[in-house]
Amino acid sequence: MAHHISRHLWLQTLDTYNVFITELKRIFRDPGVTVIFIVATLVYPFLYKAIYWNEQITDIPVAVVDMSQSTESREFLHKWNATPDVKLAYSCASMAEAQKLLRDQKVHGIIYFPYDFASQLADPFGQAHISLYCDMSSFLYMKGVYLSCNQVMLESMRSIQIDRYEQMGMDKEFAWTLVQDAPYTETALFTPTGGYGSFLIPAVLVLILHQTLFFGICMLGGTAREENNELYCIPGRRRDYSVLRIIFGRGAAYFVIYYTLAVILLVALPRLFNLPHIGQVGDIMRFIVPYLLATIFFSMCVSVFIRNRESGMVLLISSSLIFLFLAGISWPKEMIPDAWRYLSYIIPYTSGAHGFIHLSSMGATLWTTRAEYNTLWILTAAYFIIACLLLFFTGWYNEKQKALV
Amino acid sequence: MSILINIWHVMQREVRQMFARPLYMFASVGVMLLSTFFFLTLMRQGAAEQMPMAVVDLDQTSISRRLCHEMQATSSVDVCMITSSYAEAREAMQQGHIYGIFVVPEGFYSDLVAFKRPQIDFYVTNAYTVGGNTAYKQMLTVANLVSGAFQREVLRKKGMSEDIIMKRIQPLTIEGHMVANPWGNYSVYLVSTILPGILGLICIMLTIFAIGYELKMQTSHEWLHTAGNNYTVAMIGKLIPYTLVYVVLGIGCHTILYRFAGFPVNGSHARLLFGLILFIFAMEAMGIFLIGCLPTLRDAISIGALYSMLGFSLSGFTYPVMSMLPAVQALANLEPLRHYYLIYVNEALMGAPVQNSMVPALSLCAFMLLSLIAAPRLHKALIYQNYPLK
Repeated sequence: MAHHISRHLWLQTLDTYNVFITELKRIFRDPGVTVIFIVATLVYPFLYKAIYWNEQITDIPVAVVDMSQSTESREFLHKWNATPDVKLAYSCASMAEAQKLLRDQKVHGIIYFPYDFASQLADPFGQAHISLYCDMSSFLYMKGVYLSCNQVMLESMRSIQIDRYEQMGMDKEFAWTLVQDAPYTETALFTPTGGYGSFLIPAVLVLILHQTLFFGICMLGGTAREENNELYCIPGRRRDYSVLRIIFGRGAAYFVIYYTLAVILLVALPRLFNLPHIGQVGDIMRFIVPYLLATIFFSMCVSVFIRNRESGMVLLISSSLIFLFLAGISWPKEMIPDAWRYLSYIIPYTSGAHGFIHLSSMGATLWTTRAEYNTLWILTAAYFIIACLLLFFTGWYNEKQKALV
Repeated sequence: MSILINIWHVMQREVRQMFARPLYMFASVGVMLLSTFFFLTLMRQGAAEQMPMAVVDLDQTSISRRLCHEMQATSSVDVCMITSSYAEAREAMQQGHIYGIFVVPEGFYSDLVAFKRPQIDFYVTNAYTVGGNTAYKQMLTVANLVSGAFQREVLRKKGMSEDIIMKRIQPLTIEGHMVANPWGNYSVYLVSTILPGILGLICIMLTIFAIGYELKMQTSHEWLHTAGNNYTVAMIGKLIPYTLVYVVLGIGCHTILYRFAGFPVNGSHARLLFGLILFIFAMEAMGIFLIGCLPTLRDAISIGALYSMLGFSLSGFTYPVMSMLPAVQALANLEPLRHYYLIYVNEALMGAPVQNSMVPALSLCAFMLLSLIAAPRLHKALIYQNYPLK
């Protein structure tokens, strides 16, 4: 009896191995799939790194309209120009002139000092105003122009306050204490450079793995459909179909290839690109396992519905953008309407991206990231069962069709 | 005359194919409807509000509690965590629950009144830009408010009036104006380029597919035959039905964004829409160019996908092109979406005169010429069918 069971298991393992090898051959003999699996996965990260090479937006050109023509305004401008964010590119005689520059996109901000700027500052009870106009064509312009100007304003304001308190007859030391009675320090945790690339590229790396697997598996599924190659059969043996052996065998083929790629993308590239990489390598390597498995089974489920090689890509290409936004990386997850947020959990990318950012960019441990890690294992189990059922029904349906013929 | 009849025949053949395969309608109308619905509902609220953050209150006095209230007072952040452990707050940040940590030190109140200048620390995460930024701005405001509030107390004791105190505390102010998007609305900023971008994606992918599928199924002879063996007739007849679908989708997208969703147009609606239609034509032409250069459906589809996805980054609507490497800046010009975005900035945001949009509009027209360059090669491929099918 025991002998029988062990022999049976041995045969099953052999079948699975057979499926695994056949799938690897299908992948590497198909240039279309190889391009997506290997070339796209390895080329894309470099393209994105090249696009977001300069992390910071520096020297944003701004126009100056200085009606006060005073020492104070010039001093303010001098300080502002010294910040890395902006560059005083034009000095205009009127607001209309500056607005034309903004309209022509020669500048991305305008600073305006009114006539009474200096006199208001000189008046011990006066309040001076600066108007700042920010170009909204990119939020990063606004961020750079506004925050740097605000910083200079705060600094100038303190020195004005100190001067005024001194005029009131306060002791300099005391005035100083009063103005900055509770000083503050601001710290950007985990990613001190705070560049756009450091924020976006990690999320894109995770997305590249997700989408190339997704499109590649859909292409393989479509090809099999076109060639009437029954994916639900053990290769070379018709009518003998075991869903489990096939899904394990095929899944293992994708997993072996993608585990290597994932280690390159998620462990090696952040170091090469100097992206934030303060996580534990071991934790990241463990996190990759359920992420890839969930993505593989998810893609297998979708691929059942794809009829030919290329149609999956045509139909699903915009899913890359939808998945990216649905995950709540660019647009905060708290702002996503509930219905979309619940939906986002069924896409492996959502938990994969957040988990990877927490682990790698923010130095969390696998224990801290357990919510995402566990979600991915649940998704793995769910998509595995769904993939089995779908494959089983396709097999059953096709056999029935054949019987009818 | 016979040319027109042949075009009509090719169009009829094409429309039959369009409806015979559900892919065409799903991938164009279906995807566009879904994307429009998705992006407009996703960013319905426009501005980031109630971003969760933590206050680490090591002081536990009335003043530190008042700071929490001040923090909570605006709609931009939500103090969802008040704790006495920094480690706990830091872990919540690592779990993605909060975007900022504001630390009120121990003995804050007593040090403050004793003029010992206690120090406030605040921490933000840059791993999530929007949330981190919103929390940062609010924490900066509150930290400055502390100094102001204390000065106010001291000045009040000196017997000054509230009005004068205010001017004392704020001798200098900045009045910020956000040009063309005064609400700082994220939806206006992102969706107005993403949706046309997705339409462009549909145009290029389906154009490649519609032509490449003839090569793959070796039906190109029949197609040319219907067109009286005239390449131009075959192309025009094939593209008219698709182009009509795309233009209708473009008009629909424009109407939804700028009429119903209320996105601003400070310039001309007509010119903005015209820009969108030029963009559609440019993407179709790019599709013909790619399938002409690589007359194998599989290769052209992969390259088309790679090329058009990069358009979103290279158009510069999130990360400005100005800050990219010079070589990458040059490459950005090879993306039609970049030129459409420039027209959009001129027409929708800036209300600029028509000559500002001339260069991007002419650039989009230049893309159309690319389809002519590829014509001889594509024509040969249609006749000889000498490229791999898979």
